[in-house]
Amino acid sequence: MTNAVAGLGLAPDAAMVTFPIEMFLPGSDISPVETRKREFYDGLTRWRSAFGADGVAEAPMIRVENASMEGAFSRANDLMLANRWGDGLPLWPPTRERVSWILRGATRPRGHRVGIFPPRGGVTTVETCAIALAMAGGRPEYLPVLVAAVDAFLDPASGSAQLQAASGSAFPVVIVNGPIGAQIRLNSGFGCLGPDPQRPAGASIGRALRLLQQNVGGALPGIGTMANYGGVRYTNVVFAEDEANLPPGWATHATERHAIAPDQNSISLAFANGATNIRRRGAKKETPEEDALQGMYRMADFMRVPNMPGLSGYEHGTPGILMLPGVVANTMARLGWTKASIREFLWEHSRVPAEHLRRAGCPAWLEIDSSKVVRESIALDPWPITASPDNFIVVVAGGGHPTNSYWLQGYSPGVVGRTLELPPAFDELLGEAERDLGPR
Amino acid sequence: MATLEFHDPSGAIEVKRPFAPRVPSLAGKRLGFVSNDQWQAYRTLPRLKSLLEADYSGIEVLPLDAFPQGNAVIGSEETAAQVKQSGVDAVIIGNAA
Repeated sequence: MTNAVAGLGLAPDAAMVTFPIEMFLPGSDISPVETRKREFYDGLTRWRSAFGADGVAEAPMIRVENASMEGAFSRANDLMLANRWGDGLPLWPPTRERVSWILRGATRPRGHRVGIFPPRGGVTTVETCAIALAMAGGRPEYLPVLVAAVDAFLDPASGSAQLQAASGSAFPVVIVNGPIGAQIRLNSGFGCLGPDPQRPAGASIGRALRLLQQNVGGALPGIGTMANYGGVRYTNVVFAEDEANLPPGWATHATERHAIAPDQNSISLAFANGATNIRRRGAKKETPEEDALQGMYRMADFMRVPNMPGLSGYEHGTPGILMLPGVVANTMARLGWTKASIREFLWEHSRVPAEHLRRAGCPAWLEIDSSKVVRESIALDPWPITASPDNFIVVVAGGGHPTNSYWLQGYSPGVVGRTLELPPAFDELLGEAERDLGPR
Repeated sequence: MATLEFHDPSGAIEVKRPFAPRVPSLAGKRLGFVSNDQWQAYRTLPRLKSLLEADYSGIEVLPLDAFPQGNAVIGSEETAAQVKQSGVDAVIIGNAA
């Protein structure tokens, strides 16, 4: 593990003695502490940081040459992997020209500081974001969403400082509200969490965020992040709520969670560490009421598990994000369901019997939690998986098909919202996208 | 010859404060542990305490519970203040995994 303290303003290296994981398991052989005791002693007496005491180490420009442009492109990709800046998929080398093009989507100067990316502590500017977006194959009109997502990510309320390095494999989920979603070709319908050449913005923005997490934040597998599995991290999750299919009277996610006006462009960032489809539709001759209710039970029952994914956001975060297709939301709305009543139902019916918590050893985790609300929740039987129904996120998104809903299991101390600023040339950029990619 | 020049994507690194100076020797010094009480710290850190006490004359190693333990409290300003007030020359922090 490296980089663990750089985000605190200290140099990225530190006096550490590291051991294979086996020594940290119950019943382990701890004799390596003795055989390597000199390393502890040296860490207290002789160790010196390789970095200077004060100052800023700027990232340089890199130059590759080859007989052909294809060879230079290949060499650049090899070099980026060798420097641990890649994800294994082809990268667009962030040349000055490419980065300047992306920066046409900026609303602040390129040197504007967005924050310090944990755990490594890399300084993140608008230009740093543009570099990552260029590498990820992005376009300038995506930059406002990326910069806002990075700003939200680096907000201490998001919990990113811990989640970047933790073993639980959290990935950021960015929900976009407002007209910008459709304008920049973010997907909100069929396949909205996957690849889509018709609506490619989510993949590029999410991949750029991941590259920032890794390249600037140092979250390299097994080095800067102990994420066991790292699922969904190639592109993270970036999608737009399907506002065109919101039932009458249902508020957008941005309005419900962050009190942001319905037509205002915004993002909302939470962390998740699981993603699963839930078979929602009935199979035979159910009435509309039965179909809706059975689907709700199936979703709540799926959430009623004693693995406590929502502990980190028990008070103020979220146990997860439930995605309902517009066709389902509208049917349920006609039956009287609202986002609030769905949340209430999920909260009530996902409660875990205390006996199930006890046999799974959950009380020990509740007892050591830093939150008083979590510690006191031990007394509740059945135990609610989150402190309040309001913590559930319900969004309308997904293809126009009624069979499935989707659950992004939360691992999120907070849910952070940001309104978006648009660059003066935004309409021009949209026109250029129309020219380059064809009509929306 | 084709040339590509591109940005290093890793961003600048700022070092705003130095690590604490090392002590010249551990003999005669006062040491403490700041433990998150995780990952077998209840076994590994006492072993280290015994080793330090055997290897350095006049050393005083405070017991594990001299400072608050647990992930929820060891990063707090209150714990840092307690460590400073204790007058220790150095601390060992553990265990992370």
